[in-house]
Amino acid sequence: MTTQISAYTVDGKTPHTVLRPSTTEDLRSMMAAASADKLAVVPWGGGTKMALGNPPERYDAALDLQGLGRIVSHNPADLTATVEAGITIAALQDALTKRGQFVALGAPLADRATVGGTLAVGTAGPLKWQYGSPRDVVIGMTVVQADGKATKSGGQVVKNVSGYDMARLHVGGLGTLGVIAQVSFKLTPLPAREATLLSGFASMPQAMAAALAVFHGGAVPLALTTFDDDAARRMAMPGSDAWRVAVEMGGRPLSLERQVKECEAALRAHGAARVDRLDAPDPKMSGLWRKLTDFGWDQPTRPTVSARVSLVPSKSSEFLEALEHVPGERAVVSHPAHGTVLVHWYGTADDAAAKALSTTREVAVRLGGSAVFERCPVALKASLDVWGDARDSLAVMRRMKEQYDPGRLLNPGRFVGGI
Amino acid sequence: MAHEGLFQELKVVVGEEYVVHAPEDLVVFEYDGSVDKALPLAVVLPATTEQVSGVVKIARSHGVPIVPRGAGTGLSGGAIAAKGGIVVALTRMTRILEIDPVNRLAVVEPGVVNLELSMATAKYGLFFAPDPSSQKACTIGGNVAENSGGPHCLAYGVTTNHVLGMEVVLADGSVAWVGGRTRETPGYDLRGILIGSEGTLAITTKAVVRLVKLPEAVKTLLAIYPRLNDASAAVSDIIASGIVPAAIEMMDDLAIQAAEAAVHAGYPADAGAVLLVEVDGLKESVEVESALVEEVCRRHNPMEIRTAEDAAQRERLWAGRKGALGALGRLAPNYYLIDGTIPRTKLVEVMARIKEISAEAGLPIANVLHAGDGNLHPCILFDERKPGDTERTLEIGGRILKLCVDVGGVLTGEHGIGVEKQEYMPFMFTEDDMASMARLKLAFATDDAFNPGKVFPKGASCVDISQMKAVARAGAGAFV
Ligand SMILES: Cc1cc2nc3c(=O)[nH]c(=O)nc-3n(C[C@H](O)[C@H](O)[C@H](O)COP(=O)(O)OP(=O)(O)OC[C@H]3O[C@@H](n4cnc5c(N)ncnc54)[C@H](O)[C@@H]3O)c2cc1C
Repeated sequence: MTTQISAYTVDGKTPHTVLRPSTTEDLRSMMAAASADKLAVVPWGGGTKMALGNPPERYDAALDLQGLGRIVSHNPADLTATVEAGITIAALQDALTKRGQFVALGAPLADRATVGGTLAVGTAGPLKWQYGSPRDVVIGMTVVQADGKATKSGGQVVKNVSGYDMARLHVGGLGTLGVIAQVSFKLTPLPAREATLLSGFASMPQAMAAALAVFHGGAVPLALTTFDDDAARRMAMPGSDAWRVAVEMGGRPLSLERQVKECEAALRAHGAARVDRLDAPDPKMSGLWRKLTDFGWDQPTRPTVSARVSLVPSKSSEFLEALEHVPGERAVVSHPAHGTVLVHWYGTADDAAAKALSTTREVAVRLGGSAVFERCPVALKASLDVWGDARDSLAVMRRMKEQYDPGRLLNPGRFVGGI
Repeated sequence: MAHEGLFQELKVVVGEEYVVHAPEDLVVFEYDGSVDKALPLAVVLPATTEQVSGVVKIARSHGVPIVPRGAGTGLSGGAIAAKGGIVVALTRMTRILEIDPVNRLAVVEPGVVNLELSMATAKYGLFFAPDPSSQKACTIGGNVAENSGGPHCLAYGVTTNHVLGMEVVLADGSVAWVGGRTRETPGYDLRGILIGSEGTLAITTKAVVRLVKLPEAVKTLLAIYPRLNDASAAVSDIIASGIVPAAIEMMDDLAIQAAEAAVHAGYPADAGAVLLVEVDGLKESVEVESALVEEVCRRHNPMEIRTAEDAAQRERLWAGRKGALGALGRLAPNYYLIDGTIPRTKLVEVMARIKEISAEAGLPIANVLHAGDGNLHPCILFDERKPGDTERTLEIGGRILKLCVDVGGVLTGEHGIGVEKQEYMPFMFTEDDMASMARLKLAFATDDAFNPGKVFPKGASCVDISQMKAVARAGAGAFV
């Protein structure tokens, strides 16, 4: 490969070497060697979310997993698949689509983001939320530990309680307890048809109320996302509605039509100024959802700082109202059915950014939620924990690290509480 | 008495009447020593998180093990005091603390009975989706500990998919929250680690659970086949057809005969298998999908197909399936229930092998299955009074689980490892795999105080078959 070593820089730190395993066995022996040499290793998938995390304490080697890109098995009749961690989300979904299936796992920049990286980050995208978070679709996992041993848990069946559910440590663990090598997924048949309603509203409270009405209505949306006009403009969407609500629905023809009808009625009852319909396979529909998924991560929408806020669904409006007085240019995308609000600030100087982030977290915590700063200048990272506070479970989390990576080799310092 | 000091301290925390230690009183908890080999020193019934914390601290200071217990319906010996110590029964902590229909969640104490939660939330059009067949008796705390499934987890998922967070008491008596009310919380998914950890890492004292919309339409179809193979093939075909029904249940000829004698479901005497498929959701999709399911079922030459449109008809179709376990007593004095899961494409092959194993060993096996997710429940029928029967039963049980693992399946789909299957763990896991799992005990700093002697192999067989008591505790109408 020709990639320069500087491409593997994380928070200003550049490694000495890049390790590029092409099999799990390679990965195992490279990790064993790195462990013998006490090298600090940063596992690397597509590199799309390397901005996330506290700055690494040490960083000797990047462990580029893109060479582990195979589909090990796909058993369409059993709705399961096993893949290597370096396969991209797009490549995996493409292969599954050919057999009328998908895995409920999405990521920004899906043609670069890998399965391993997406799981290590562990957050849900806007699509197919009703099938659960990334952690819910994993049925088995092989991990290479910091000491180079490969261990597995789970299996290739959809119902299994044999032994502890070890994969849970690694989904959302940011590669701090082991390197994800192989994953088995539970798959879902693709809906026969899909349609999206895109509606415009005059205000945020209206849009949020409409979204909650859809959430509680008869339709079973596959995706439910609201965003402000600033976000729409950055995505180069036409129109000037203050807020928009996008709802994706799927199913067989009759049930889809009924859902669309009920959903449209709910949106209009809450003051939708307009409701446009897009039907799959219209590229405009997939384009809309790709833009919403990529927001904040692709070049044109990349912010200076951003916060991922998790709340109970009903608190989104209150949260956004409380943020109104925070100065600065910003854009908001939210997934009300998850209770996720993504706030992005643009061109903000460090001190203003610090203020915006701390206010965001204060409000989120006051409303019973939390905020992770997904993007944050390195200078600011010195004075805050981008993950927030794991409170009374932090002690157990620290001991997890001591147990699984006593030498602090994997992503040292990048996780919550400096784990 | 040797433990008078311990009992005294416990009584100060939970009150005199909630520390049970006289042997005659322990019988109430069915710790009579006749089947469950280990007797606890005492059963303690705390009423609050603070009391649980106090009890844990006292037990630790006396160096005695702590065994959490819900309703005692577990089928792998999870609530047995394998190494003595005190049993902490959570059955007084039965409050539903909050139902939040807007955010579709509920906060409950661990002793809340599964079905009672769904009954309490029904008025909001919501329910708690995991529905173990023991749901009239089993507790949410037990469900969390076992990561329980149920007949409808095919479409809805198992407990871990429906729990947002828990308040837990750790081994030093401290109280911590894992997860919370929101979908994401900072740090490792300790919630997900604790769910399914069989009471070996922490005691759950509160749970925040997700609630799901009750389906607006349900349609149930029952297909009777002359041969088990036809039914198994129909299951594989349904899964492959792109429909995910809410439930696909099955039973074989022996189970049918037992059920027929008990509940008179009207199954033909020569039926080889009964398949039950339930489709739910929006009424338009239920219409179409149930028709498709029926078409697939017809392709495999059924003797008969019955459908149900309303709750009463549905109950009738389920009656045979639900009555099978209770009816096995008609066929043999004892049964031993196995719980392996296999890839759904292997159903035909594995069911045929189980029939062979049964014939070879000369012990009948009745099969009930959560067929849709490949979860088998072969019930080995035996008579514990007959010399050698019990040993042979255990041996066959091991062979069936080995078979499940060999075809790409697993040791347990929903009942847990407990003391029952701990010696089989090496079928599935290497030393390194198990060592990695065991590190969780160190991370939670349990000092092996919680439920010791379970899940991990001890190198010595200690399997005992105490399932019939658990079934009795699950109450009338419980099935598997
Ligand atoms: C007839 C019958 C049918 C069944 N059907 C199903 C089924 O369909 N699906 C299924 O998954 N299971 C099934 N089971 C098994 C059993 O009912 C479940 O495992 C259930 O969740 C156990 O709940 P319980 O309250 O009885 O727990 P118990 O049996 O009391 O305990 C089970 C385990 O959980 C631990 N535990 C209990 N409460 C807590 C707590 N608060 N904190 C920490 N640990 C705790 C115990 O230490 C033990 O290890 C069935 C059992 C029977 C008898």
